[in-house]
Amino acid sequence: MSLRSSGVIDSAAVRDMIPLCIPAIPFGLVVGIAISESAMPVAAGQSLSTVVFAGAAQLATVTLAGVASWWAVVVAVAIINARHVMYSAALSPMFVGQPLWVRLIAPMVLVDQQFALMVLYREDDPRAIRRYYLTAGLGFWAVWQLTTALGIVVGPAIPSGLRLGFAPAVMFTGLVVLSVRGSAVPWAAASAALAGALVSAAGVGLRDRAGILLGAIVGVSVGTIVEACREEEAP
Amino acid sequence: MSSLEAWLIVVAAALVTYATRAVGIFVLAERRVPLVIERALRHVGPAVLAALVANIAAGDGGLSPAIDVPEAVALTAAAAVAWWRRNVLWSLGAGLSAFWIAMAVLG
Repeated sequence: MSLRSSGVIDSAAVRDMIPLCIPAIPFGLVVGIAISESAMPVAAGQSLSTVVFAGAAQLATVTLAGVASWWAVVVAVAIINARHVMYSAALSPMFVGQPLWVRLIAPMVLVDQQFALMVLYREDDPRAIRRYYLTAGLGFWAVWQLTTALGIVVGPAIPSGLRLGFAPAVMFTGLVVLSVRGSAVPWAAASAALAGALVSAAGVGLRDRAGILLGAIVGVSVGTIVEACREEEAP
Repeated sequence: MSSLEAWLIVVAAALVTYATRAVGIFVLAERRVPLVIERALRHVGPAVLAALVANIAAGDGGLSPAIDVPEAVALTAAAAVAWWRRNVLWSLGAGLSAFWIAMAVLG
């Protein structure tokens, strides 16, 4: 008997997750290539895919490893992943009736794509929810393991003249613009990004890459203040 | 970096990431998050990602040299195409292509 007919795998979840996997594939390759160029041992780099499973945070980790101290890297991971607090809070009603093992596993696969799928999910039955959630989440996880591993394998074969070490900066730039464009309050988000960039660049000489943390704190504060001010002006 | 330090990062990063994803499910489920926190969290993405790019571009700690023309061209192309196409893959492709063309032209 196949897993599918036994009811372990939710075929609707598989169908829904495939389009969302496509953008993750080149991202995973970039992360894998960055691992192959990182000061971090390859086994540790690939383990990040397994136990952290967060693209932007992984990319920051392997880029900063060996340049910043370990705790500065972990602080960077914490602030990059702070958005997950929102995902987790927003999806929490789905986990009220779930057994403990589901609630313990669920956070491990709560990536951006998983959140995008689950906010659209409309079933109420806890059993249906967990089949769908776990099928999609573990599916995303498996695709991520394969693509970052592939990136590690092909990375060393890419000519160094192409300078792919700069690819993470290019990727992050695209993500900044998308996060501003997709924001409900684009002016505030743009202010947050601009302030974060300026403070971080000004603080580039600080020890342990503390400029990144400083930039993040100032950027978030500026964004929040700008949003509050604009709201007061609005009728 | 030492192997111990690398594995310390892996374990700590995993715990921190798990915590951010679990806190809503286990702690916040029945409570209202204050509006100011909700707002601040929304700006974390743009602020921290921009801070990362700026630090990488301005950095000279062996990460990459201080920004030069090809790097500036790459980041500008990536930003413009991300705005235009609203797609991070188009942005990455355009940014890297512009980077390579600029390097080839400037020799």
